[in-house]
Amino acid sequence: MAAGVLALVGTRKGLFVLWGDDERRSWEVEGPLLDGWGIYHATVDARDGTFYAAANHLVYGPTVQRSADGGKTWERSKKIGLPESSGLTVNAAWHIEPGLPQEPGTLYLGADPGVLFRSDDAGETWEPNRGILEHATRDHWFPGAGGLCCDSIQLDPGDPQRMYVCIASAGTLRSDDGGQTWLPVNKNVATDYLPNPYPGIGQCVHKLLLHPARPERLWQQNHFGVYRSDDCGDSWERLDQNGLPSSFGFPIMIDPADPDTAFVIPERSHEYHYSPNGRFAVYRTRDGGHTWEEMSDGLPRPAWAAVLREASASDSDSLYFGTQSGSFFALAGGDTWVEATRHLPPVLSVEVTQWSR
Amino acid sequence: MVQIVVPGFLAAQADGRQRFDVEAETVGEAMRALPVADLLFNERGEWSRHLNVFVDGKDARELGGPACPLAGAREVLVIAMLSGG
Repeated sequence: MAAGVLALVGTRKGLFVLWGDDERRSWEVEGPLLDGWGIYHATVDARDGTFYAAANHLVYGPTVQRSADGGKTWERSKKIGLPESSGLTVNAAWHIEPGLPQEPGTLYLGADPGVLFRSDDAGETWEPNRGILEHATRDHWFPGAGGLCCDSIQLDPGDPQRMYVCIASAGTLRSDDGGQTWLPVNKNVATDYLPNPYPGIGQCVHKLLLHPARPERLWQQNHFGVYRSDDCGDSWERLDQNGLPSSFGFPIMIDPADPDTAFVIPERSHEYHYSPNGRFAVYRTRDGGHTWEEMSDGLPRPAWAAVLREASASDSDSLYFGTQSGSFFALAGGDTWVEATRHLPPVLSVEVTQWSR
Repeated sequence: MVQIVVPGFLAAQADGRQRFDVEAETVGEAMRALPVADLLFNERGEWSRHLNVFVDGKDARELGGPACPLAGAREVLVIAMLSGG
């Protein structure tokens, strides 16, 4: 029986499915599916294999597309909307997070303008989370260049009542009561674009990940720095000054087997979104962020790459990411990057799952 | 009865169908009867600002928008604006 990895690669012009062999060296490209849609994020629901895509179009707006047959046919969710009393309308669908294994049919959707939706019917309909929509600090949130996006949704596998969302730029918010109420958890996280560099709210989190084997440990790549929390976000330690060439970047990846290991892709600065000095590289820490080492074998040099916040993924065997210039890379043999394909439309998102046939 | 013609991108979202015969009193009512209605209106019932709608060649926005009457009209053209990249 053959086995390998399936990557859902969302691009500005549609969804591509990349089939990689078990070694991550040989790849086949299928697509575009959802032709013409900007796929901000696509994922496979591990509970039943359904594909979900946060799809956006300049003219036709945001929607959620879902496929129960591996991408052959797609069905849109019913209209996603916000109550008229909010004075807000949905600008973009950003991230879809399947619920925990014990809640089949439940999914979460992060969207612009800084809103979270929940579905309990496998994505047919979506209800806005009132605790986020009506949060007391909302007047202090402001959009970045990508809008007021809600792009990180993390569920605690050990505590179904605990979850996190990140909104740019509001910061990280944690719920300990199943999404009823939300507490900003941004202590010591910098906001160098505000007069007060350490406010309680207003941070620009680019990506936040919870470690599944140690759920109280969180990693985040921020607009200003890389951080780790060991207490569910109550406090944060800044890590980018320990050997990274830049504090700025968008994605972050983790090793599901090792809570001390994480990976970032630095860019020059918040004013220059590309590899510092043409040195395109992933940086790895194996000691909780105390030291970092460069991983660039197989990556082009010089190169001025840009990788967006949703455009990376990891599993127990490898790492994966796509660039705005349309290349997709996977790590093969532990240390060498393989360019699986190039000349895709700009890559917006990457997720992976295993396949066998 | 009025015939609505939608762009190819929307036809791809409607099993390839580009023309729809609809009984409706207003252009908004006619468009809401389409299987792609969710892509034509936001949650307030407004058209996307990047969408143009013509009723027998006349800009429906200048005739009342979704409330534009269809009495005697034969064709509604839904067209995406020339915008984007």
